[in-house]
Amino acid sequence: MAAKRTMTLNLTDAEMIALEELSERKDLSKTAVLRQALRLYQMVDARIERGDKLFFEDESKAKAEVVVL
Amino acid sequence: MSSETIRIQRRSDGVDIEATLLDGMAPQDFVVVGNEWAAERSMVMQELLKSAVPRNQWPQSLHWDWRRKAPELTLLEASGFGVICERQWQGVMLTKTASYTARLDLDKGKPLVYIDFLEVAPWNWIIPEIDRAGRFRALGSVLFWRAVKQSEEEGFRGRVGLHALPQAEPFYEKACGMTSLGRDVAKQDLLYMELSGQQAAKLLKKGKTQ
Repeated sequence: MAAKRTMTLNLTDAEMIALEELSERKDLSKTAVLRQALRLYQMVDARIERGDKLFFEDESKAKAEVVVL
Repeated sequence: MSSETIRIQRRSDGVDIEATLLDGMAPQDFVVVGNEWAAERSMVMQELLKSAVPRNQWPQSLHWDWRRKAPELTLLEASGFGVICERQWQGVMLTKTASYTARLDLDKGKPLVYIDFLEVAPWNWIIPEIDRAGRFRALGSVLFWRAVKQSEEEGFRGRVGLHALPQAEPFYEKACGMTSLGRDVAKQDLLYMELSGQQAAKLLKKGKTQ
């Protein structure tokens, strides 16, 4: 794996709770959750930059466009 | 880029040859792979046409072009792995870590390593219809093993997912021990297959080439 660098991250209580919940639910360390979030954000941003659109689809297959700024 | 020394078997005489398994391939490496394999792909196609082999029996990755996949490697979620032997790329794989999550009931929604593309060099293909026996064996197993290892390193407990080409379905099911989860209309009706953490532990215990 590539070499890693360390940084300090300041989170609010609410953000820390959300991180801990995701960590528990996804069976990942908190670092791994944040790494996944960054990968996902970069991938979505790159695809939107090239003109793709991001949709969430519900069970009934009715689509709603999500705008990512 | 990091690397480890492995051994792969030459089919012609059964001798194990030293090879290098690399991770962290750069976009330029995929361009080199695409260029190196293009001439051989073309040769295979000529032979298939000359021998009037029906199209449905042609290798299903014959049209792949790794040069077109090179930009994918600029994304954080993408990783490129390859095996080099005798100064040639013998097999290559592109994996992703954020685009897909597990579908097996027990692991639903948890992250996994998704194998986007895995291919061995065209001179390693076995095509009896045109007397091609393949130069090296078990490269697919080595690369699949590396994906499982990557999943473990990422903290994903070895979970791996992929959509298999029909010709590769038996390999992923029997040799890799993956579970079939049905055809995926969103992915050209390819069979979606997944390796659970438990299945991964068994595979890692067996080693690279089983």
